[in-house]
Amino acid sequence: MKPAPFTYHRPATLDAVLDLLAAHGADAQILAGGQSLGPLLNLRMAMPEHVIDINDLADLGQMRRRDDWFEIGALVRHHAVATSPEGRRCMPLLAAAVGTIGHYAIRQRGTMGGSLVQADPAAQIPLVALALDAEVTIQSRRGVRSVPVADFVLSAMEVALDDDEIVTGLGFPLQSPTQGWSFQNFCRRRGDYALASVAVILDLAEDGTLADLRCCVGGTAPVAQRLADLEAGARGHHPTPAWQRDTAQQIAATVPAEDDSKATEAFRREIVEVLSIRALAEAVKRARVSEVQP
Amino acid sequence: MTGPARREITLSVNGERRSLTVAPRKLLSDALREDLILTGTHVGCEHGVCGACTVLIDGRPARSCLAFAVQMEGHEITTIEKVAEGGEFSPLQQALHDHHALQCGFCTAGIIMTFQAFLAEVPDPTEDEVRDVLSGNLCRCTGYQPIVAAILSAARVMRGEGQA
Amino acid sequence: MSGDTLFTQIGRALPRKEDRRLLLGKGRFLDDIVLPGALHVCFVRAPLAHARIVGIDSAEAQALPGVIGVFTGADLARWTTKLRLEPAIEGLHPVQMTALPIDKVRFQGDPVACVVATDRYVAEDAAELVVVDFEPLDAVASFEKALEPGAPLVDDSLPSNLVSHQTFAAGDVAARRDEAFSIVEARFGLHRHTHAPLETRGCLADWDAGREHLTFHIGTQAPHPLRSQLAARLKLAESQVTVVSPDIGGAFGQKIALYREELCVAALSRHLGRPVRWREDRLENLTSASHARESVCRTRVSVAADGRILGLELWLTEDFGAYCFYPANYMARVVAMILTGPYRIADYAFDVQVALTNKCGNGPMRAPMAITSWVMDGTIDAIAARLGLDPVEVRRRNTIRVADLPYTMPTGEVLEDVTPLETLEAAVAAIDVPGFRARQAEGREQGRYLGLGLCTVVESTTYGSKFYKAAGIPGSGHEAAWVRIEPSGAVNASVGLMGSGQGYESPLSQAVAEGLGVTAEAVRLQMGNTDVAPYGMGSRGGRGATAGGGTLYLCAQKAQAHVLRLAAHVLNLNDATGLRLREARVERLLDGDWQPTSLTLADLARTAYLDPTALPAGMAPGLDFSLTYDPPPMTYSNATHACEVELTPATGELRIRRYLVAEDCGTVLNPIVVRGQQQGAVAMGLSGALFEEVVYDADGQNLSATLGDYMIATATEMPEIEILALHTPSRRTPAGIKGMAEGGIMGAIGALSNAVNDALAPFGVVADQMPLSPQRLRDLLRGATSKNAGKVPPK
Repeated sequence: MKPAPFTYHRPATLDAVLDLLAAHGADAQILAGGQSLGPLLNLRMAMPEHVIDINDLADLGQMRRRDDWFEIGALVRHHAVATSPEGRRCMPLLAAAVGTIGHYAIRQRGTMGGSLVQADPAAQIPLVALALDAEVTIQSRRGVRSVPVADFVLSAMEVALDDDEIVTGLGFPLQSPTQGWSFQNFCRRRGDYALASVAVILDLAEDGTLADLRCCVGGTAPVAQRLADLEAGARGHHPTPAWQRDTAQQIAATVPAEDDSKATEAFRREIVEVLSIRALAEAVKRARVSEVQP
Repeated sequence: MTGPARREITLSVNGERRSLTVAPRKLLSDALREDLILTGTHVGCEHGVCGACTVLIDGRPARSCLAFAVQMEGHEITTIEKVAEGGEFSPLQQALHDHHALQCGFCTAGIIMTFQAFLAEVPDPTEDEVRDVLSGNLCRCTGYQPIVAAILSAARVMRGEGQA
Repeated sequence: MSGDTLFTQIGRALPRKEDRRLLLGKGRFLDDIVLPGALHVCFVRAPLAHARIVGIDSAEAQALPGVIGVFTGADLARWTTKLRLEPAIEGLHPVQMTALPIDKVRFQGDPVACVVATDRYVAEDAAELVVVDFEPLDAVASFEKALEPGAPLVDDSLPSNLVSHQTFAAGDVAARRDEAFSIVEARFGLHRHTHAPLETRGCLADWDAGREHLTFHIGTQAPHPLRSQLAARLKLAESQVTVVSPDIGGAFGQKIALYREELCVAALSRHLGRPVRWREDRLENLTSASHARESVCRTRVSVAADGRILGLELWLTEDFGAYCFYPANYMARVVAMILTGPYRIADYAFDVQVALTNKCGNGPMRAPMAITSWVMDGTIDAIAARLGLDPVEVRRRNTIRVADLPYTMPTGEVLEDVTPLETLEAAVAAIDVPGFRARQAEGREQGRYLGLGLCTVVESTTYGSKFYKAAGIPGSGHEAAWVRIEPSGAVNASVGLMGSGQGYESPLSQAVAEGLGVTAEAVRLQMGNTDVAPYGMGSRGGRGATAGGGTLYLCAQKAQAHVLRLAAHVLNLNDATGLRLREARVERLLDGDWQPTSLTLADLARTAYLDPTALPAGMAPGLDFSLTYDPPPMTYSNATHACEVELTPATGELRIRRYLVAEDCGTVLNPIVVRGQQQGAVAMGLSGALFEEVVYDADGQNLSATLGDYMIATATEMPEIEILALHTPSRRTPAGIKGMAEGGIMGAIGALSNAVNDALAPFGVVADQMPLSPQRLRDLLRGATSKNAGKVPPK
């Protein structure tokens, strides 16, 4: 299990990265944390001619709040997001989900951009980014563009990124302090990719009804699923336990789900239902707590 | 090793400046073991799961099988060989010994490196936190119970709360 | 009943001598041994489960700079002999295999060619360039399919895939069925496991062309038997081969046999005249090293109304994989022979079939008889369920009592000095069965499902030569040791065992120290080098303490007797009566009190080596002792495991709330090491029962080739394991040692499964197939109705 030969590049600036991508894009892989690419290289499931190491790009390792957005550079490590006090305050769902990625040592190296581009169907970042309406910033010699994450992740391990492009960062609209949220996943062992996961964000109106619901399911299909119809239909409802149970059933029944070697479709739907109940209950509880303690 | 040109790199290993010439694809784990003869770092899976090869890169734990030696130019690597200053066990090593927390010892260096860093960051962890972090290191011999006890005990000692 | 109070060294909680080097990163494992100029090997492996090898084109690979050569089965056949397994055992077909397959491959991962290069990276590059032309054949990926009439043959030399079939009957099970109040049937399916030691296999062969001698560095549990095989298959004299085992990063039974890859590496070193090394990668380890355990047992038991067992029948089928590195009956036969274990059963019959399939071959994995206690105690629980009896009471009514001992099992195995009723009662008391039942009933009312499982284990530990003979398994059970007191008084000792992480150095030093009369700290064990160690049978089963420790203890006693004869001479006494050695000093019994003398072991050693004229008449110079010992046919430890689980019916998740073991393994050499083995074995059993599974698809493709897919439990999934220690010494072994280290797996599988089935009871379903994954439990629960809580969640 040794990687095939490659030419190694270690550009010091983003410009240099973009030049290298322009020159070698189709035959190049960007090396950030290496926690997903490393195994693929060692297993020779990836055999790029060029490896472009972006770890020297300090600018991409910054995260900060700007206006109503939380901007996270592509090179920011999972551990930094999961433990950043500001991140946990402004982006609690993201911080909680990222804190469950892999293991402690993996999170020290693994990056936000890397996980997103890897686009594993069961991964945390594509799921919560979808729930949070995140925007992906992409650069190339041709310019800068910004894409909603929903349009960026196309299929399992497939994203809307041209050969000469690099993801430089993710932008997240700030979560409001009164928002309820929950991230739930079902893993065989701690740190495994989830068989299914659910992210829920909700806002309550003053009368206690749902003003807004966002609900996403990961791990059941090639890409994380946003349940838009269900979200639209939820507004105005009182999120009672009965509503939570009915909604969880509806999520489980309607979310696209597939069989694979890890789990059957039937089992996945059952897990989604249980995770949805837990997520809705927790999010509702958090939202109410937020109201009294703004 | 054939392939693209080998490179000379300079890095800090256990506090010493070291230079070596490596092919770009050479894994950090292999370079430490073969080029620097630091064989205390063990290779158990080469796909980042088992944790045996964990070292510190700039003070943070990392799988050395998922990094390339060439990336380490200008960085600081710490391996198990550095943990016992002057041959004296660190509190964590002593606690692992006292609690019979190793058997074959193949996973042990990775566990020590992970927790040298973790206990510096979280000096007073709960058992759940210890188990959560330890879940990144597979042990096939002990069932983990004595390792968990040893880490909690070492944390107490490191906080100055007396012996195990 | 404990005899350990007489001991001063045996039984001490002496810390492990291995720890210092391992904690400092100074252990010496195979890859830490550097031989300049060593070449690296990478194997080309079959991508198909079953295929003819039509041709191998290695021209492009050979042209790669750094490649020394690419070698095939035909090449290796010129330098090596075949492995022939043809023991005269009724019902077992003889089989043979070449160093590498020549005509066809039999499983995905079968090695077909061997690339040698100056560097491992280059060897892997070259392996990708070797083109093998395969003609696919239909594969059989399950024993059911393998045993169908007309199934494709895994081994073309056999009449069918049924490589072994053995039956046995004692008493009259048919008559017992006729008398029975009830006949209860149960099924037990254990899935395919693999050992997955943290250090994979590997070896380093160094052929000395001048001396015509092979030094073979390899982490092996059995250095001498490996040397015998290696020499024979290379057509060398055993004096031309030295096997050296460094520290081993776990083995669990995977590092006993001489595997084909290792033979190739040795042959290539000799052929090329250079050191050659191989490190198995994790993919190879999971797919191509050795698998274990996959078998299905069915029992039919005739019982009286009070739950007493009148007769028992067993049908066992094992899926053995494609190749036999061991006789195919090797593991299954032991399960059948010791099945009745702690229970009084006279009428017993078994039918044991072993099938070849297109999967990686099986080998013994820590507790080769792992399924045994689950089958027996699961059958007990099935009886209790059928008759509406308390499972504890059914156990009590059938368990062998001290008054029954020695007890001859229906297969002829003899139990002595075991205490299954005592461990049962200890476990039942500690886990508080009545308290649990109350919580369980309360929980069920609230929709919470708790379960309690018990499993009593009688663990076969030390296999003496007579057992092998009686079981129809080839092999010796003897062990050999030497103890040498050097001129300075330093004590060296050796034995044919080789540890792979158990921590032998302290406990075996304690056995030597006890026998000789020194402190364990002063004893140095030299193991793993066949030129240094005596020819023993190595580490396997639970024989380390009894065979290894026992032989060392006896040898050290022989040494002490000699030393004391010399001491008597020096002290001008008629004989050694009233003398003993303690902490390396001669003591003399005076007026009922042991008094130190001025003589030390060092004084006597100096005399023995350097002043032979001062020795008594007829005493030879030096202090060099050796001894061989064949243990009793079998020694048995026993234990009762108790496990409390909570099942979440909506998801099939299990949480182990409590786990305890009451274990009687006789005299304990070192309680620290024994506890580690007990906890480690339970953890390995639980990990296997809950998470680990080698998965093949219908075409024989292995779907569990990484540690992400072959799931070993992490620290977050494993419970605390409480140990209640009992110590009833064996009267038949040196120092009363019984051995242990595998029973934890037997008990864990059984106790967990019984607990899960107790939790499942309200739903009227039974889990009879491992692993107990959430999905499998959901498959059982889907549509089932709880007697307590109506329709099953999720709701």
